[in-house]
Amino acid sequence: MTERIKKLTELTLKGEMHVVPRNVDFSQYDKSSPCYVNEDVSRLCEYIVKQEPVINEYCSFTGRFNFDGSVIGDAFKRGGHANTFAALSKYYLKPIDNLSTMEWQHATASYFKVLEKGIEGIKEEITLSLKLHTEPQEQEFLRGLNAVADAMIEWSELCSNKVSEFAKTIADPKAKQRLERLSSALLRVPRYKPECFYEAVLSIFVCFSADPDSVGTLDRFLTPFYERDIKSGVLTRDEAREYLQELFLMLQASTPISSVHFTRGGESHFCIGGYLPNGDDAFNELSALIVESLIELPTFIPQITLRWTKKLSSEAFRFVLDCERNDPHKRIAFTNDDKRIKCFTENCNIPFEDAVQYTMVGCNEPAFLGAITGSTSKGNILRCMETLFHSKSSLIVKTNSYDEFYSIFENELFADLQQIYDYDDMYNAERAKDINYISCLFFNGCIENAKTLTQGGCNVAIASPMLIGITNLIDSLIIVKQFVFQEKLISMQDLISALHSNWAGYEDMRTIILKRGCFWGNDDELSNSVAQQLYQSLYNFLKGKKNLFGYQWLVGDLLGYNEHHKMFGEKTLATPDGRCNYDLIKFGIGQSEGKDREGLTALLNSIAKCDANAIACGSTITNLYLDEKLVSEQANFEKLADMLEIFFNQGGVHFQLTYASKDDLVSAKASPENYKSLRVRVTGFSDYFVKLKPSIQDDIISRTVHRS
Amino acid sequence: MNGIIFDLQRASFVDGPGIRTTVFFKGCNLNCLWCHNPEGINLKRGLLRYSEKCSACGKCTAICPTKQSDCMLCGKCALLCPNDALELCGRIVSVDDVFAELEKDRAYYEKSGGGVTFSGGECMLQIDFLEELLKKCKDVNISTAIDTAGNVAWSHFERVMPYTDIFLYDVKCISESLHIQGTGVSNKFIKENLIKLASQFSGKIVVRIPVIGGYNATYEEMNTIAEFLASLNISQIELLPYHKLGMHKSEAAGVSYKEFTEPPAGFLAEWKNRLNSAHRCKCNP
Repeated sequence: MTERIKKLTELTLKGEMHVVPRNVDFSQYDKSSPCYVNEDVSRLCEYIVKQEPVINEYCSFTGRFNFDGSVIGDAFKRGGHANTFAALSKYYLKPIDNLSTMEWQHATASYFKVLEKGIEGIKEEITLSLKLHTEPQEQEFLRGLNAVADAMIEWSELCSNKVSEFAKTIADPKAKQRLERLSSALLRVPRYKPECFYEAVLSIFVCFSADPDSVGTLDRFLTPFYERDIKSGVLTRDEAREYLQELFLMLQASTPISSVHFTRGGESHFCIGGYLPNGDDAFNELSALIVESLIELPTFIPQITLRWTKKLSSEAFRFVLDCERNDPHKRIAFTNDDKRIKCFTENCNIPFEDAVQYTMVGCNEPAFLGAITGSTSKGNILRCMETLFHSKSSLIVKTNSYDEFYSIFENELFADLQQIYDYDDMYNAERAKDINYISCLFFNGCIENAKTLTQGGCNVAIASPMLIGITNLIDSLIIVKQFVFQEKLISMQDLISALHSNWAGYEDMRTIILKRGCFWGNDDELSNSVAQQLYQSLYNFLKGKKNLFGYQWLVGDLLGYNEHHKMFGEKTLATPDGRCNYDLIKFGIGQSEGKDREGLTALLNSIAKCDANAIACGSTITNLYLDEKLVSEQANFEKLADMLEIFFNQGGVHFQLTYASKDDLVSAKASPENYKSLRVRVTGFSDYFVKLKPSIQDDIISRTVHRS
Repeated sequence: MNGIIFDLQRASFVDGPGIRTTVFFKGCNLNCLWCHNPEGINLKRGLLRYSEKCSACGKCTAICPTKQSDCMLCGKCALLCPNDALELCGRIVSVDDVFAELEKDRAYYEKSGGGVTFSGGECMLQIDFLEELLKKCKDVNISTAIDTAGNVAWSHFERVMPYTDIFLYDVKCISESLHIQGTGVSNKFIKENLIKLASQFSGKIVVRIPVIGGYNATYEEMNTIAEFLASLNISQIELLPYHKLGMHKSEAAGVSYKEFTEPPAGFLAEWKNRLNSAHRCKCNP
């Protein structure tokens, strides 16, 4: 790492690179001006050009600004989006009927356009669309976009002037030269298309203000510039590394140091690799450099997901896995492109060339470039099982076969699913009342459809509510099938009575269930078939079902920053999997609190086999906890790499790793002062274990740690 | 055909190359004082009693059909024990049952150069069962390894050699008296069988030496082992440092155990170097 980057890192970790929004005194607007669109747009434009960039002698980039809520800001942080906040105040962390709760929603810009034709090119698109869309609200929206595009250009010019003035005060010739270059480049980009790698990174740096969520598929955006500059000799690999590191530091600085999220990776998550529209694998020298550059930095944000494909070389996979192993801040995750592309093309009917243009954002949510994630609400999928045993037990008490039981269960499941997805639409409808003018510039479809992203303006998107408790549900079904119908060891009536009494008086039954239950994750025929049947039901229910904007609904299972597994769990009564009243419920897929007893390959096989239709390729996670010793020897690391490649080959969707022993985790909870640096994967994000809430710590401790 | 095993471990990174499934056969004709799998010594099924976990709740006594006078190994007590203080050890399984489990990880074996390891106990004591399993693996090209102490008739080796890719062969010491002292049996057959195996077996032989402070971790004994192995065609030598993981299981299984010590610091590294240069073979760790 160069001295310059070290200095910038130091400033970033002190919180000094965060761009503090500047208060703006909104003046009166000339409503007769041809530039005047409406009050919202005028305030927004005024706000942008009144901001103050961060400039210092170490910078080679600047131009970021943040919103403060006084205007309708970006689509990710949603400052000024009044209807979104009204909906959040009603539903965020406030589950309806212990079934559904609203969550934050990601929104991911695409930088292809601005890198191909600059903001001027985007303005040309707006001009064309204005000719095609003549409805007043369409005209108003497009003219608003145009005005904001002009404000972005003006902002960049203002930054250029400020950098130029600052450069005059700098004595160091190298710093002065760097700042002069920056000043000059800001006059060209993002207004026009960049001419070199440096300008391309600068374009992304400035435009990230318009949607500070994810830098998407960074290697795809930058590869043409990188290859051309390296070939022509105007760029060295080390220079590219510095530019990337400065970009990553900006992403870290996007979160203020006062926020609990500063040390988490749930924001600014992006991808490398994956299939290109021509079917080739995208991983290249720049992809490797991106990973290398990031893990050199002692920061927490951003996160990277490697999109694995069957065409990715084992060497490349091992390279990234090795970087992950050596990254104390746990910033790298892995997803399987083959399974996801199958989902997007077959379930969502998205053409292959569009399907490959996705990234991972936040806590491992798939999102298309230039699109919102169609939903991220959370549903308590275990509630249907609770209902059957606690409120509607008369329906199941006389069932004679598992098939008969399952049929009744499926009705209850579908009723809850319908409700969960209806609530999801309700949240989206509330959000849709907000019109966004800045992020839409960089979103696909908003200009040509003359429609804001919150109202379905994006061309290609998916919607993935997250179903918490899937593992509990599978395990509950297994217990019913195994003990009530196959072994006939427990009668349905007794099981119902046991759950009604929260196992009181039935302790032995619970012990037997916990000890002898063929719980999911052990790769046996019974548990695999039960899981597969459940996923088939989810597929049958969701196939062809779209949300109110026409985006296909998928299944997810992860948690965000919030403890929905606790929130739902503490209102959910005992379930057949041995769970007691109000215990936590499980999130993610495959974290089986020690019930997966047959080793890592068994768990991986179970996960990989459960969803043949790929309907659960929404926001899904598999957290694998491995004993550190498993990878401390190179030979074992090679075996682990083989194992994980097979997992993806067999259909696994995602994995992320934490290396820690169970003893470490228990000790860390008891004596946090001794484990200040222990970082773990939580849901999509990673964080210091000792900073997590006790309920999250308990969940992590309960997960199975795999040894050799 | 049925056999008796006490564990089947998938995703094993030890017991041979690559990713493996290891089947632990019950029954052994050695009684090593340091045994790390003491629950596998007895050929018969048994009940392990972990006294440190017992809360004296009385559930086991209440459920026992014989009131604990003559255990029928019905397993009811272990099933109901809320603290896992009781565990039924050993299960009778068919060749097909075991093979079905082994097949589940074929993709992992193929990718990693791994396979199946038959261990124990002493897997060669159930020779008919072992031979059937080996044949089935070979029929579908699953790589096989046998982990043995070698204290069986040579004819057993002749039966399994055609279907075996790797022998993991334990050598504790060369001195017969020391061997008897540590394992309860002579090492006459063990040495003879290894010599024959090294001259006749075309696959890989990995000699595994448990290095035990207070037993064989001496220059004298290690030199003797090195000399013995020097003339043999061995592919690899592994030094396995003593650990105490078997101690609490010994108590649970009612097997005698003697506590030894880990080899002195630097001893393993030194002998790794010596054996490497003497044998031109890879030596772990």
